[in-house]
Amino acid sequence: MAQEEMSKTPNSESVREQSAQLSTSNLQLSGDASTSNIKNRTSYILRRIVDLIVAGVFIYAGAIKALDPVQFANDIDNYKIFPWPISVALAFYLPWLEIFCGFALVVRLLYRGALSILTTLILTFTLVTIAAKVRGLDITCGCFGHASQNWSFPSHLATNLAILAALVVLWVSNRSPKPL
Amino acid sequence: MRSSLIRQVLILAALALIPGLGEAVYFRQRISWQSSIPPSELVTVDQARTWAGNVIWVDARPDEEFARDHVPGALSLNEDRWNELLPQFLAVWSPGKKVVVYCSSLSCNASREVARRLRKEAQLSNVFVLEGGWEAWLKKR
Repeated sequence: MAQEEMSKTPNSESVREQSAQLSTSNLQLSGDASTSNIKNRTSYILRRIVDLIVAGVFIYAGAIKALDPVQFANDIDNYKIFPWPISVALAFYLPWLEIFCGFALVVRLLYRGALSILTTLILTFTLVTIAAKVRGLDITCGCFGHASQNWSFPSHLATNLAILAALVVLWVSNRSPKPL
Repeated sequence: MRSSLIRQVLILAALALIPGLGEAVYFRQRISWQSSIPPSELVTVDQARTWAGNVIWVDARPDEEFARDHVPGALSLNEDRWNELLPQFLAVWSPGKKVVVYCSSLSCNASREVARRLRKEAQLSNVFVLEGGWEAWLKKR
């Protein structure tokens, strides 16, 4: 009877083994979790850095143009796409759109809307720049006000493509962002 | 998902409209909605006539149009033959003289471009664009 009782009760050795196994697997799990936490954190930090760089570029570009809309209207007019009144309207409007979208990226509010607008803007600027080159127009890039006045076509295009690449990175890394 | 995206785009577009409109009101004196030339660089036929002997008229129209008729005493300076015609113009120009550039009409760009190049490339000041161009001159002749 006593022997039967003994065989039913787990001996202390096997209990110790089991608990050791459990703690090892717990350690592995917590190790995996912390690795994935570090990964997530790193990717979040990288994403935020790209966010801030893109936002900074657009806020700077918008501010420079908002300070001198007359010059920007002339820069738009140089592309010979719109009639003068439309160039003026765009010169007043586009810089603020860039600034608001830039801030939206910084505070992550209306985030996807801002990404959509900025991607559309940069694609349009790039296409218009290429079209101007093809048409043989000697255009002044109004992108960054006076700072970009003497930019060559390749540097103008390279800047646009770099910004576009950064925006694509943000799109891909924020595929399931929080809604508004 | 899509409607939320559209809503975000619309909110941002509307937000940007507010300071844009404010700026349009603030800059209303410094930019014209009708013409790309700032009001300070435009001159009317009557104003230009009051400058009488102190003005050089520059015809920015193509050679054929200049040959057909032009403002008395005007020099031809168009972008097609810029390098050839600019020295001829500079030979006549002297400091203190006002330069009035004109092209065909209100809607042409040639006078604006020639005036811009005279300011930028020849470093001249006192360069004006004739409001209404050759058409305005003909009406006042």
